Amino acid sequence: MKRILTYLAFAILGIGIGGYSALAMAGLLPGDRRTGGPIEINKWYGDFAMGSEDASPYFRARIARHGLLALANTEAVYFTRTVDDTGRPFTEGCSYRLSGGTMPARWWSVTLYDAENFLPDNVDNALSFDASRAEAQSNEDGTWSAIISDEEPGEEGGWISSKASGNFDLTFRLYVPDDGVLDRPEEMIDAPSVERIACAGGAS
Amino acid sequence: MKRLIGPFAASIVLGLAAHFAIVHYAPSFIMDRAYTMLGERGTAVHAFNLAPQMRPDTQSVVRPSPDLAYSACRFDLTQAPGGIRVVMAAYDGYSSLSFFDAQTNNFRTIRGNGEAQEGVLVPKWATSSQEGAIYSPSDKGIILIRRLAPTDEDYARVVEAAKGDVCEALGE
Repeated sequence: MKRILTYLAFAILGIGIGGYSALAMAGLLPGDRRTGGPIEINKWYGDFAMGSEDASPYFRARIARHGLLALANTEAVYFTRTVDDTGRPFTEGCSYRLSGGTMPARWWSVTLYDAENFLPDNVDNALSFDASRAEAQSNEDGTWSAIISDEEPGEEGGWISSKASGNFDLTFRLYVPDDGVLDRPEEMIDAPSVERIACAGGAS
Repeated sequence: MKRLIGPFAASIVLGLAAHFAIVHYAPSFIMDRAYTMLGERGTAVHAFNLAPQMRPDTQSVVRPSPDLAYSACRFDLTQAPGGIRVVMAAYDGYSSLSFFDAQTNNFRTIRGNGEAQEGVLVPKWATSSQEGAIYSPSDKGIILIRRLAPTDEDYARVVEAAKGDVCEALGE
């Protein structure tokens, strides 16, 4: 009887460790938001194997949880970012300036998601900033900017609402990337910067 | 101590088995849940359903883009002996027709380029000589049309275009 109990205890321990390590390595634990990858551009992380049969089993499991039905890289590439330019995690309590220039794709967008990988539960109708809004800013050099904050900013320009988002992250999509992006992404993509402006309580 | 060698070895074997089983089956498990959930939200098998504009109260899959309009069709090739005819109607703006298998792989994407696109989805073991045949690695999966629609006016255009989308099972 004691022998059986010993086997049982070790079996439970082994299954527990094996199961937990699988969930952790595949980004399946509650609260895990790692959607990044080996490509890093200005703190944006991406993996061009998304949606592809070439994806590793761990990355495939992670994408199933965090980015189900993502397109293969010839149609779209995705980057995710969780920190501002100085490396501090995004939080609803702070405001940020998202800025950039022309992008090497037919269309692009930056969208804000909460920790559960969903659009934050607000009715501000300001969930993303995309190429069409950047064009509307009509800057001759192609530069654009948008504010990320939990209240509509007083200044004119783009706005992404972070209301009810808690600790959020941003996803940068490039649809129909230009030739060369898949081979030389760091060289081709000048990914947007995200500067922290101010925080509730006065911290910056 | 020797008495623990057996239990310890069993622990490692079971741990590795649990680890790789979870990693291997997680995508198909999650995809199956998405397939079921789409059905519960009104997407029939072999019929496109245009989702409402992506908003916090309408999102049904993780990380939707609020700038895109999504039409989904669930397919089940065991119920379509002759394959599945798929048509993405023309749309003035970015559009794509993408196919996902039960393992979450995006095994084929066709870009709209302003024109209607059509194909016939068949199992990968089929010997179809039909023009435009698309071979699916799994019996079940999801077909998704994306159309760029950042504004309400664009979404209204998508509603009209989507009336021409087709996802239908073909007989023998």
